[in-house]
Amino acid sequence: MRVVLCIDDTDNLESRGTGTLASQLARELEENAWGTSRFITRHQLLVHPDIPYTSHNSAMCFVAEIEEGSLEPLIRHAAAFLARESAEGSDPGLCVVDADQLGDPAPLIAFGQKAKQSVVAMDEAYGLAKSLGIHLSEHGGSGQGVIGALAGAGLRLSGNDGRLKGHMAIDTDNGRATVGKICAHADVDEVRSLDGRHPEGDELVLLGEKVKTVLLDGKSVLLVVPADGAADGVAWQTCSKQQLRNY
Amino acid sequence: MWCIDRNGRREFPGGKEDWPGAARTAVCCAAFYPDVEEEQIADEAVSCYNCRYRRWTAASFTCSA
Ligand code: SF4
Repeated sequence: MRVVLCIDDTDNLESRGTGTLASQLARELEENAWGTSRFITRHQLLVHPDIPYTSHNSAMCFVAEIEEGSLEPLIRHAAAFLARESAEGSDPGLCVVDADQLGDPAPLIAFGQKAKQSVVAMDEAYGLAKSLGIHLSEHGGSGQGVIGALAGAGLRLSGNDGRLKGHMAIDTDNGRATVGKICAHADVDEVRSLDGRHPEGDELVLLGEKVKTVLLDGKSVLLVVPADGAADGVAWQTCSKQQLRNY
Repeated sequence: MWCIDRNGRREFPGGKEDWPGAARTAVCCAAFYPDVEEEQIADEAVSCYNCRYRRWTAASFTCSA
């Protein structure tokens, strides 16, 4: 069965980030032989004076294929993990969606999009989770993180929101690699230009120091732009961090 | 010059797109501390936009250091 697990508001200014906790949870899911997970995505939510957050108000999410009977142990484990590992003063929330039983994801996706645009109340998050049969729980502080956790799960399911956590290690020849070689990386599904073009497999890309992908059409996509100067047959180069900031 | 918001916090006057200004400010700041990788958005490693102590606001960020 496919599940979407999302956490929010687990950190303070001195602690490990929410992304690090999400990575640890994904690792422990595999260590417990409950299933396998894929990449972690970061989803930006609204920054507004009425919303309490440490510094960025983003949620961290991953999708996992788990064995039948592993859902309840996973939820118990993740809940205890958040209660134990979240930072002092944080308001952690946990959302676990059984994507196979969810049916129409549209209301959940709409909630995620709403939480990027406007202030949402905890009651609304709990009400929606209950009506859709989604696990949503708070694990300390005010529990406000449930809003971001539910919203992040919806945004991940939308397939068109967020950047992947971490950087891709791709072997290059003098900083260059073909599109085909880049797509051979386990966490890269596609290379696409910022304006929506699809480079051919043998086209060369100049890779920046830190290669990061974004979530588009449900895929991990490496965005590129035409290479400056187009020297040595290199047609494309990866986007700068600045160019990826709005994903 | 930083602006002071209605809660008395210092808000960066350059907004969210002043990349050189955010880098210049951080280079001169002893309190700069890099945020976790997934929250860094500036290509300049040392930039207020990559600092753990910047707290995003609707138009810019305030500094919590
Ligand atoms: S955000 Fe604040 S602490 Fe961080 S570099 Fe800028 S001025 Fe310094």
